Formats: sequence, structure tokens, C-alpha cells
Amino acid sequence: MRFKTFACFVGPSLLLMVLFIAVPLVSVFIQSFHVTQPVIERIETERCTAGFLEQQCSTEIKNVPVLDERGSIVTTTRFVGLENYRAVVRPDSVQAAISSWNWPALMAIDFWKALRFTLSFTLITLPLVIGLGLTIALAVNNTTRSIRGPVIFVSLLPYIITPVIGALSIRWLFVGDGILTQAMEAWSGRQISMFAQGWTIELLMLFYRVWHVAPFAFVIFYAGLQTMNRDAIEAAMMDGASRFERLRYVIIPHLMPLIFFVSLIHLMDAYRVFEEVVGFRSQAHVISLQWLTYDLLQPDDAGNRAVSRASASAMLTMIGIVILLVPLLRKSWRDHKGVR
Amino acid sequence: MAEIVLRNVTKRWGSFTGVACTNLTIADREFLVLLGPSGCGKTTTMRMIAGLEDATEGDILIDGRRINDLDPKDRDIAMVFQSYALYPNMNVYENIRFPLKVRRVPAEEHHDQVIRAAEMVELTDFLDRRPGELSGGQRQRVALARAIVRRPNVFLMDEPLSNLDAKLRVSTRAQIKNLSHELKVTTIYVTHDQIEAMTLADRVVIMKHGVIQQVGTPVEIYDRPANTFVASFIGNPAMNLMEGTLQDGVFTGRNARIAGIAGPDGPVVLGFRAEDATVVPAGGDIVAPAYTMELLGDATMVAVRAGGALVTVKAPKDYRVEIGAPVEISVPAAICQLFDADDGSRIEPA
Repeated sequence: MRFKTFACFVGPSLLLMVLFIAVPLVSVFIQSFHVTQPVIERIETERCTAGFLEQQCSTEIKNVPVLDERGSIVTTTRFVGLENYRAVVRPDSVQAAISSWNWPALMAIDFWKALRFTLSFTLITLPLVIGLGLTIALAVNNTTRSIRGPVIFVSLLPYIITPVIGALSIRWLFVGDGILTQAMEAWSGRQISMFAQGWTIELLMLFYRVWHVAPFAFVIFYAGLQTMNRDAIEAAMMDGASRFERLRYVIIPHLMPLIFFVSLIHLMDAYRVFEEVVGFRSQAHVISLQWLTYDLLQPDDAGNRAVSRASASAMLTMIGIVILLVPLLRKSWRDHKGVR
Repeated sequence: MAEIVLRNVTKRWGSFTGVACTNLTIADREFLVLLGPSGCGKTTTMRMIAGLEDATEGDILIDGRRINDLDPKDRDIAMVFQSYALYPNMNVYENIRFPLKVRRVPAEEHHDQVIRAAEMVELTDFLDRRPGELSGGQRQRVALARAIVRRPNVFLMDEPLSNLDAKLRVSTRAQIKNLSHELKVTTIYVTHDQIEAMTLADRVVIMKHGVIQQVGTPVEIYDRPANTFVASFIGNPAMNLMEGTLQDGVFTGRNARIAGIAGPDGPVVLGFRAEDATVVPAGGDIVAPAYTMELLGDATMVAVRAGGALVTVKAPKDYRVEIGAPVEISVPAAICQLFDADDGSRIEPA
């Protein structure tokens, strides 16, 4: 293909990627090392009253934002180095909590609380999504051809549902007067509140994410199974491999590139967990890194947004994703070089 | 020891019959070739023996034991596939070792057995390579080594040479023949290539539409085909089959008159091999204009139209004739075979 033709195809996409991904990313990166604050001026006002015997005067000092000629607040941006990161990570408090083996103190820091949940959420859902997706794919692949269509449709339904709606649906099932809570209470004969403590909320979040994403893994693996060399499976049967050994030595190695692909996508997606926190209204107990960034961007009582700290939090989230992806990317790269 | 018996074995898919009521006995250590065109049921028959397909009816026995309900792994059968069916994620060594590993053969025996199998197929220099780094012939040898490593009772080979080029096919064929001689294991080999069948087999089974047409040694099948299908399927060129009438020992067909044929009067199909007839200057039994002439190097094949068919005769290598010029062919009555004009079955001389 000529370079000009190639550029015509790739150019628009590249331009939009630069505009909507690279530029905001660089902007957030720069912002995370700066603080933008309004310029404040100090105004002294002397007030005097006539008094009884002699005149009484008092001086009032006020800090007020400087306004420009259009009446807007004048701001100034200054470089603060890692100050924003320090404000988010709070290393002094972390050191104090660790040195005193005080886990609750560590979890009282928003960033670490969010990181703990985000990491555990990502690493627990990953094998469950892969395992459940693979199980459904194998089951559908082995069912009678005539019922495969309906089974595939039903299996895909959770993935079609909008995440927030799905999370809300699960919440409604388990809130105080939800159907499932009522059923569990009737069954156990005791009061159950799934949203009164963090760990039950986390369980529901994990359940929801696996339920929602497993169909994606299923579709990918099912497609992969269609490319499987039937002879290789039959050869393994003749060689004496059990069903599990055929899965382990023949089917999974064949699906391995797809397992890597699903893992990459899921790691990136799960680390940015957000909808569950909103859908389950769990912020009192459980927060994620993405939600933390969102929260920092919410205006406080004075109407100020902590944009710089939000930028630092966003960068830390991105660094976390990259760290998680590095082993997978390295393995993929090695395999790619090996194939060549 | 592995004598295989197929007793009334049938395979049906709905109303379609893939293999119809097959009865066959394969002797211990015999090399049997299932031969036939695509869709004749030869691979299905093999897959039923392997346990990869269930027989709809009938019994499959190995050494007198009914194996219909046994899993493939429990039948002590090894199989070589047309597509090699190697495990791409394992190297050659691991591929060959795989049957030992999954059959729980003690680990300390693996190495020796793998090396011995690799030596038998001359693969010892490639043990570290993955299947993707091997040629077609090498891959097929890995498949062979994987089959022989655990010394099964029966080998099944499903068109193992079909994916190889002509030159490699000859050398791998020789290797299979040698291995079969060395291992002395009952072997069933499926092919649609009659040369493979003739060169490898102790006995050949010819199938058509799921029905066995003839079972015999390569020589029997070549010399005494059971019907016109076998006669036209075996041999290159195939047997000449002329339609005509036999009356008082004289066969008469279009452009052909052959005397001294023993058989019942009436319409018949007369067959003879190209190499058994000769082109003569005059007084031939078939007289017809030359239809085509092919130079093969060691011989010249001359074809004429006679008895409603194209009749090919092998002439000396320096024989030349103009297309359309008359050709006289002598067909000795002794080499002629007769087949029923209606069902094509062989008519034995009275």
C-alpha cells in the first residue's frame, strides 16, 4: 500500500486519537504537577465611629479574590512538584499506620481504601470471568446444534444490559425489601441487610461484574473454539487424554491468545470500576480509584474543585493499570517474537 | 495379538447410511487397506473401530472382546490423522511423549521410549522444534512416532500421505511399510490412492456407497476384480470395459470381435488390462481409428473407441500412429474377463 493511501485511512483516526486521548492525557499529566488557585488580595478597611468621649476606630482585614475587568476571578497556576501526589497518597500517614500495624488507619485514607478495593475487585473477578466464560463456551459448544442459538442469546443478555442499570437491578434485588433479601430472611428466619457493611456490598459488586462480563469472555472463547482443529482433540482422545487433560493440554493452549486478550481487556476495564460504586451507592463503605477521582472533581461547599489532586489520582490509576498489564504485554510480545 | 472383527456393522445418520452392514475380519498383524472414492464409508468404518463414531448397529470385536461401548482410550488403538493433528504448543519431544504422560506410564521410562520412537522415524535431530517449524513430511513422521511410542495393539492411519507432495509421499510410504514390517502390529490404513493400497496392503478392501465391493490381496483384486466398479477403480490405466454380446464364444461389440471367450450367451461387459493387449499390424480383434496417443517414456499408450468405451492399449515406446489412422489390437481370449451387463458383477468362466 502506498504511504498516501495508508495515511488517508489512518490519518483521521490518528487525529481524533491525538485530540481526544493524547491531548487530555498530557494535560492531566501536566495538571497533576501544578496547582491552580485564585489570586487573593488583602484589603484593610478602617471604620470609625463618633464615640462617647473620643472617636473609636477599628481596622478590618479581608482576603478577597482579585477580579478582572469582566468580573471573573483571576487565577494563578504554579508548579508544585509531587505535592498533589503526596496529598492523595499521604505518605506520612501511611508510614505512621504501617509502623503501628494499624490497618484501619491505613484504610481511613481514601486513596488506599480505594486501591485496596480496586485491586481485589480486579484480581478476584479476572479468574472468575475467564473461568465462567470458558465454562459457558465449552457447554454451548457441546450442546445440540438446534438449541445453541437460544442458549447463546440468553447467555449474552447480561452483557447487553447497561452497566448502571444492571448494578441498580442487582441492588433492588438485595435492598432491605428486595425480593432476594426477603427470600433469604424467610429462609434463614433472621434479619438480613446486604448494604449495611462493606464486605457484603463487595460480594454483590463482584457477583454483578462477573455476571455482566462473563458473556463477553464466553463469546470470544466460543469463537475460538470454532477454529479448534477437531483432529487434535480426537488425537488426544486416542492418545488416552481424559476430558480434563484434553482441556488442559489441547483446548486451553489453543485459546491462550484469546485468554490473554480477554485478560487485558478485563484488567483495563475492572481497574476502572466506577458504575458499581454509583449503582450500589456504596461510597460510605467501598470506593474505587475511579470514583475517588470523580469525587475530587465534585465542587466543595465553596464551589472549588480539586482538579490538581484529581489529576494526580487519575495518573496513579493509569500507572496501576500499566503495572498490571506489563506481565501480560511482555508475554504477548515474547510469543509474538517467537512466532516470527 | 489383535484380530479385529466387524460383525454387521452399520452407521446411519438419519435416513442416510454411511456404512451398510459390514462384515470383515482383520487378522492379527495384518496390514489392511480400506480403499475407495470419497464418501464410500472407509473413514467412517475406521472411526467406528477407533471409537470416534458410534456404530448404529452391529458389533466390533478386538480379540473376541466387544469394544463398541469402550472409550477410544480404552481400546489400545493408536491413530495417525491426515492433518497430522499435532499439538502446536508442544515441541516434537513433548508431542511424542504425550500418550505416555496421559496414560500414566512411569516418568523414568518416557525418555527412552520417546527416543526409540523418534529414531524409528529419523526425527532425533528435531526433538526441540515445534510442529510449526517442521515440513509436512517431518510432521507426519512426528504423528507416526506419537502413534508407535506406546506400542498399541492396532494402528489406524487415515490418509496419512494425502497432504504430502508426490516425492515425499513415496519416501514416507516406504517408511510406513518398513515400520509395519518392523512393528508387526495390526494396521488399518484408509486411502483413496490405489497405488498406496497396492504397495502397502496385505489385503485390500474396496468400498463404494458404504458397501464392501471386494476383499482380497492386491494381486487378486488387480487380476480378478469382483465387479466393474473394482475393475475400473484399480489399475492405471483402469481396466478396459467394452459392452457387447457374447454368442457361441464370440464377443461382438462396436469395432470389436473377439473369439474363444468362455461364457453364457447374451449381453456382457468384457474387460482386459491395457498391458495384456498388443497393437498388431493386421488381423487384430479390435479395429478402430486412433483416438489419442500418449508417450510415457517407457511405453506409448494408444486409445481407440470400441465397445462403447475408450479402450487403452500399451504399445512399445517407439510406436507412433496418426490420430484417426486405423489401429489393430490383438486381445487374447485368455486374458479377457466377463461381467454381467446389468449389475456389473463378475461372471466366472464355466
